[in-house]
Amino acid sequence: MPDTWAPVARSAITVPGPRSVVDGWEVSTRRSSAALRLSDASPLAKVSVRADADGALADAFGVRFRSSRRRDGVLVIGSGPGEWLLVGGVGTAHQIAGQVCGLVAGDFVSVVDVTHGRALMRLTGSDASRALSKVCAVDLSDAVTPEGAAFRSSVAKVTTDVIRDDAGGGAGEPSYLLHCERSSGQYLFKCLLDAGKEFGIEPEGPGLDSTGAR
Amino acid sequence: MTGAASRRLPAQAGELVDRSRPLAFRWDGRSYVGLEGDTIVSALLACGVDVFSRSFKYSRSRGVLSASFVDPGCTVQVDDEPNVRGAHRRLAAGMDVRPQNVWPSLRFDVKTANGLVGRFLTAGFYYKTFIKPQRLWPAYQQVLSRFASGGVTSRQNAHGYYDKRYVHVDVVVAGAGPAGLAAAVAAADTGAGVLLVEEEYELGGHLRFSGEESLSTLSELRAQVAARPSIEVMTDAVVTGRYDDNWVAVLQRNVGGAIERLVKVRAGVLVAAPGLIERPYVFAGNDLPGVMLSTAVRRLVNLYAVKPGERAVVLTANADGDAAVADLTRVGVNVVRVLDGRAGETIRRATGRGRLQAVELEDGTVLPTDLLVTATGWTAPTSLINMAGDRPVWNPTAARFVPSGDGLPPTVLATGGLVGDGSTDELIAHGRAAGTLAGDRAQGRAGGGVPDLACEPHPGMFRASTHGFVDFSEDVSSKDVVAAAKEGYDSSELVKRFTTATMGPSQGKLETINTIAVLSEATGRAIEDLGTTVWRPPYAPISLGALAGRIFEPTRVSPMQGWHEGHGGVPLLAGQWIRPDHYGDAAQEARNVRENVGIIDVTPLGKLELSGPDVPRLLNLVYVNKWSKLAVGSVRYGVMCAEDGVVMDDGVTGRLDEDRYLMSTTSSGAATVWEWLENWLQTAHSDWRVHVTPVTTAYASINVAGPKSRELMQRVVEGVELSTEAFGYMQVRQGRIAGVDDCVMWRIGFTGELSYEMHVPASYGLHVWEALLQAGEDLGIRAFGVEAQRILRLEKGHLIVAQDTDGLTRAHSAGLGGMVKLDKDDFAGKPELAWHERYGLATAPRLVALQPVDATAVPPEASQIISSNGDILGRVTSSRMSPTLGHGVCLAQVDPAVAAAGTVVTIRLPGGGDIRATVQEDLAFVDPEGVRLRA
Repeated sequence: MPDTWAPVARSAITVPGPRSVVDGWEVSTRRSSAALRLSDASPLAKVSVRADADGALADAFGVRFRSSRRRDGVLVIGSGPGEWLLVGGVGTAHQIAGQVCGLVAGDFVSVVDVTHGRALMRLTGSDASRALSKVCAVDLSDAVTPEGAAFRSSVAKVTTDVIRDDAGGGAGEPSYLLHCERSSGQYLFKCLLDAGKEFGIEPEGPGLDSTGAR
Repeated sequence: MTGAASRRLPAQAGELVDRSRPLAFRWDGRSYVGLEGDTIVSALLACGVDVFSRSFKYSRSRGVLSASFVDPGCTVQVDDEPNVRGAHRRLAAGMDVRPQNVWPSLRFDVKTANGLVGRFLTAGFYYKTFIKPQRLWPAYQQVLSRFASGGVTSRQNAHGYYDKRYVHVDVVVAGAGPAGLAAAVAAADTGAGVLLVEEEYELGGHLRFSGEESLSTLSELRAQVAARPSIEVMTDAVVTGRYDDNWVAVLQRNVGGAIERLVKVRAGVLVAAPGLIERPYVFAGNDLPGVMLSTAVRRLVNLYAVKPGERAVVLTANADGDAAVADLTRVGVNVVRVLDGRAGETIRRATGRGRLQAVELEDGTVLPTDLLVTATGWTAPTSLINMAGDRPVWNPTAARFVPSGDGLPPTVLATGGLVGDGSTDELIAHGRAAGTLAGDRAQGRAGGGVPDLACEPHPGMFRASTHGFVDFSEDVSSKDVVAAAKEGYDSSELVKRFTTATMGPSQGKLETINTIAVLSEATGRAIEDLGTTVWRPPYAPISLGALAGRIFEPTRVSPMQGWHEGHGGVPLLAGQWIRPDHYGDAAQEARNVRENVGIIDVTPLGKLELSGPDVPRLLNLVYVNKWSKLAVGSVRYGVMCAEDGVVMDDGVTGRLDEDRYLMSTTSSGAATVWEWLENWLQTAHSDWRVHVTPVTTAYASINVAGPKSRELMQRVVEGVELSTEAFGYMQVRQGRIAGVDDCVMWRIGFTGELSYEMHVPASYGLHVWEALLQAGEDLGIRAFGVEAQRILRLEKGHLIVAQDTDGLTRAHSAGLGGMVKLDKDDFAGKPELAWHERYGLATAPRLVALQPVDATAVPPEASQIISSNGDILGRVTSSRMSPTLGHGVCLAQVDPAVAAAGTVVTIRLPGGGDIRATVQEDLAFVDPEGVRLRA
């Protein structure tokens, strides 16, 4: 038996290419400069928060259902009525959870670390919405789904939180974060690659900073 | 074949073919060369081939009629693809094009014999002839299917690639002729997003083949479209339907690697601009190859530089017919006679064997010719506005149906030839006004008016003095329509159904008006009184592949799936989950659990994190047993029943902290139970302070089972005392496993062995799995799959909900009656279970264990248990050969009459034959006292 174990975390998504262990996660180091890119963002910390939809925590976040904003390096997503998803840097789930609990004392709030239970990927490029519109029926126009918009819908028949996050994508291009339950992550990743084939999509490994942005 | 003489003309203004790019292809087994930009049919015509198919019923030779998508005579097989529209599909290098619906060959077809007896094969022949005697129908069917048209596909070939796309746009313009182009540009100029859909490969409609002035107008319009990025252009695409709320179906062909794509559009406003379709003329011989519409001639000459004949007779009743005469003359065709329909001139018949050889005029003059061109009127394809609620009306002056203008919602507009006639400028002006209005309306503004576009007078020419085909796709003649009218089918809808006119692949675009006109003639009723049939979606044929799109069948895998695949795990699809059924020998895997230690990936087990002070109230509500006194660090088995008392799920729930619980459900019940809990919380008890978070895949779940499991656990677990005293059966602990924090482990035993179920943060699942295998190597550790687990649990007599229970099994019938606590205040299913306990037990089936008398026998699951007189007394719900005991073990639902221990029952095997089995004292075959479990 080893005296000390060296646990390695692995994403639900397998991205081809050379691999290395970064921050305790075995990830693909593949980078792409293709016009449309799909990157695995699963190592980011993900925290699910439940509280009164219109309560003190909602006010403290300043985020309601269907919208999102970055706050102190954490992307706060209003993923459902009275339900938030917080995305932050790798390994920060406990810290985020602690901060949330400190925001409002006394209210009934549940905070669950779902980092390992969910898959997260980012679709970036000028054709991102065209590719996404092949597997998702929601109107992705700026009028309906502007920067910061968040919705939960069927993407290739998988229940998925979709967040329009151009700011996090870098390079001023349209960018979407897609968040689904972990065991379907590889399937969703494959479906998005299939949908993006006509636009020359390429997969790439993580490579994200602590704000969830590239 | 008519020889190899090339019919390719010198370069034509606006031609689509690229003379620098020859394309070799095959037709009917022989090699040909066409040009890039050709359609299959234009390439063949240029090579001197003018017969492309045999007709549906009489097997008559057919050639070009309209030289467009709807051309009924140009349907061919391309490679493995049947029913290709040869006058539309672009030629590609290497295509293997074949005629379809011919036997043995295109030149000689045995079904031609039908033509000789055609007068006996009138409409209704099949209905009347093959209905009796009914017992002969299978034989009739065999023969008739040989006569059905439609090409062939190989079952060996892979499924084609089809997909879908969703579009939300302000304005959809259907049709890109002058009016459609102007409408798109004008709509874009109002700030609207526009989707411009065109059936042809390029924009322009009839401007493409109408002379140099039209081409110059077209290039201006195309430039305007190109300059507006808010217009998305789809060519080789067609709006096939308009449905409620302006959901518009667009079929896009050959795009993005897909054979066809269904584009599901939500449009603010739909502008229908489909133009006009030229109408054939009815006369004897009107289907002979060499008889063409004027627009066919103009397409062939101007778009594909193909000479359609050498010696032509033209019957023209409008300017387009006149223009065809000019085109023919310009390219050197000898136009031997022009007959002016406007002056009452017409023809009597066309004659020829297999192709046109002569035209006979009304005065009996016979003109030898190889090309007869007709320009006798138009059909407005009112399909889309029909679908939107308009009922077209007959305009006798223009001799065509036009939109009534009533019944359309404000979100559907029409423009161009569909509405009326005019110069190119007038059509553009109308399109522009319609586009502006569409853009305004789509953006919530009232918008202005749209000018009138009147119909020009046109002689009503439908049929000559002879009878000919009204429907070329279905081989329906004007005689058939007259006969149908005589039989009493005297409305347009009835005649359509009786004769099948308009029901073929052209779907009425060429046939409707002639059918109604002949019916009008036969009945003496005016066309305006008969009205037109209703056009329904789809406007153009759509493949099942396009309707299906990509086949999305989500699959789910655990973090250890890669390991399973790499170690011989045989996949089992359980719901959406892919799981290892076994790794080669399930019985050996099961024995190893009894003797040493095994691990199984149970990640699919449903897991819900429950938090809040009211969790015990929720648990008491949804489970039939009691939960108020569950201590921190304990787990309890619970059974959930629906309101009807039927068992819906089971599992264990552990109390991790004061207000934090982890509930497990069956693998298949995870989603149902989550919904069930949320339903109670959101509807009946919204005041309860409970949050439910699904964490099924937040944890990789591994069951460690076997007498050596504690020893194994001691090697990998830190921070948790594992002795029986410190961590007993039905206890839960949190700690570190193989260096991974935040793990939950509980002592339960589905397999009947000492076992620990560990839930580790999923990203570390593979790490922990491999650590266990490494740590337990000297203990004889071995992974086991779902099959071994099923054997083990059956030996232990543990039921599986939905396998050993069904949609009628109440708790008592699953051997769970003892868990039902009717002294609780309330819980889901209580009234029904209380009733059942009082009145139902005497007759309700019971779950029992059965051991076949013959030790080698294992009755298949679902085998019936029968009485001596053959009545069904129950069924086997689970059965396996027990590797531990060496005999068959079963669970069964049986009638109470045979449920007593020691009763010998008869099991009827599905394949015939009976075996006997003895009802056991206990459900468990192995360790009924639970000593191993609690070790």
